[in-house]
Amino acid sequence: MTSARRKRLRIGILATVLIVGGLIMMVPFFWMIVTSLKTRAEVFGSAPFSLPTGPHFDNYLKMWNALPGVTFGTFFMNSLKIATFVTIGQVITCSMAAFAFATMSFRGKNGLFAVLLATLIIPYQVVLVPNFILYRVLPNPTSPSGNWIGTQEPLWVWAFLGGAFGTFLLRQFFLAIPKELADAARVDGASPWQVYRHIYMPLAKPALATLAIFSFMWSWNDLLSPLIYLRDLQTYTTTVGLAFFQGQFVGKWPEMMAGALVSIAPMVILFVVAQRHFVRGIALSGLKG
Amino acid sequence: MSRTPAPAALGRPGRIALGLGRDRGAGGASPRTIGSDRRWVAFFLGPTVIGLLLLSAAPIGAAFGISLTDWDLLTAPKFVGLENYTSLLSDHRFLMALRNTTFYTLVSVPLGLVLSLGLALALDQSFRGIAWIRTAYFIPIVTSATAIGLVWMWIYAPTGGLLNQFLVALGIQPQRWIADPFWAMPAIIAISVWQGLGTSTIIFLAGLQGVPQEYYDAASVDGAGRWRRFRNVTLPLITPSLFFTGILALISAFQIFDQVYVLARPGKPTDATITVVYWIYENGFNFFKMGYASAASWVLFGIVGVLTAIYFRSQRRWVHYQ
Repeated sequence: MTSARRKRLRIGILATVLIVGGLIMMVPFFWMIVTSLKTRAEVFGSAPFSLPTGPHFDNYLKMWNALPGVTFGTFFMNSLKIATFVTIGQVITCSMAAFAFATMSFRGKNGLFAVLLATLIIPYQVVLVPNFILYRVLPNPTSPSGNWIGTQEPLWVWAFLGGAFGTFLLRQFFLAIPKELADAARVDGASPWQVYRHIYMPLAKPALATLAIFSFMWSWNDLLSPLIYLRDLQTYTTTVGLAFFQGQFVGKWPEMMAGALVSIAPMVILFVVAQRHFVRGIALSGLKG
Repeated sequence: MSRTPAPAALGRPGRIALGLGRDRGAGGASPRTIGSDRRWVAFFLGPTVIGLLLLSAAPIGAAFGISLTDWDLLTAPKFVGLENYTSLLSDHRFLMALRNTTFYTLVSVPLGLVLSLGLALALDQSFRGIAWIRTAYFIPIVTSATAIGLVWMWIYAPTGGLLNQFLVALGIQPQRWIADPFWAMPAIIAISVWQGLGTSTIIFLAGLQGVPQEYYDAASVDGAGRWRRFRNVTLPLITPSLFFTGILALISAFQIFDQVYVLARPGKPTDATITVVYWIYENGFNFFKMGYASAASWVLFGIVGVLTAIYFRSQRRWVHYQ
């Protein structure tokens, strides 16, 4: 009895501490939302920790149309387009490589897999300059520069050439699929492509969802690459758009918070809806590393 | 081709399974494994191999070649040997960048690991509502450092900022935070720890859930208290998770860029906030010193490589695989 009561008390204290901690973690989000609904006078003039006098949604409108000749919607659609291409590319090519590593036997398999994993520890910045030069050499008659610089292609084409994280994640999943399924299909004359397409891919849906979510998130949140490759306001993603906006509108906190909220919102919604896949992805890649 | 093979195969699993038992685990090539046909291997691995060569292997080599030149992209590269590397040694801003990045890593990595391990232990409970509490700690993971950096910039703002409002309410002297050379790096570290807490916590939680309950029971029977159970059961068994989160945190800490870029705007990072990756970005893509930037990226690669190698060698002494 006493031990049960002590246990209940312990859980109660723990839960309280966790809730307070969780609320502290949420402070930046509260602060962002509250500021985005205030007038500029309220932001600087009013008493500390004050709430907005009314929801001033016009900050969102001002933010949306803040830059000449382009709305925030353009940035939003650009981010959406690039992140979608990256996701498609990664899901297709990583799953193909993972299928080969998990089910096929060929010379140099382990070596190639080790090399692929090793790229995980290479800081991306090491290849920044050479990749920039590569895209500068690749011709593109439709772009003003005559090459790939200033276009959005460098931000997503790479995704169609595989990737260490996705291949590793899916290989782990594919290895758990009973080989008998594939072997039986092979005996019946199915090609490796058909085994991949009609047995492995449908069974791996949860892992594919995990990879899709992560690919989308990394692309959506990336700042450095868009900063280097994009030149024209029309091609900007939300991250560079926001950074540009920040440079232009110093001190306009309500509008900036509105912009931050709009660019964060899709990922937060995706997270709340698909939390399971996020958590599994992080845990899976972490545990078996 | 429709979906015929799967159902047909499922119709008679017994025979097939028996026939293929031999192949499993052998690892060697066998005519009955899915494909040893080179054309199919090439088909499935083609994109990955091209990507490895074109976007990883060749650029790493090229970066070293470029680092031996003086190149502004407009005129032909000029071979200068190791001059870029020797120049780095006396480049004040680069040395500051190196110092700041090292400080950032040395503080944010251990701090983040300790906090997230504690958080994982606290969250490893089952009571009603725990899922919502976990969500609150995990949400920062998905926010872009650019957007949330803006929010933090506003929290740190000298006038009107939330943090100073809070300090004034407590009767404490307000600070200039990002604009103050002393507080700038700790302020950036706070953002990163806040944002990265969830990732390591999730890995630790998965590790904790893999610790068999019997081990705890056995320790309790032996009279071990809460601390001894943590020290002698939990900690050794989650060292693989600790090892992995450590390496992830280490590599990403050396790549800190977004927060610095956003918080230093408008303008550039000061000597107190510049990091190695910002320095590479600035020299490569603002000043178009491709050789100089490449040399710095190789220095970064070298540091991360050496630290990773040391870290991997150390695992024999403290990581326990079950």
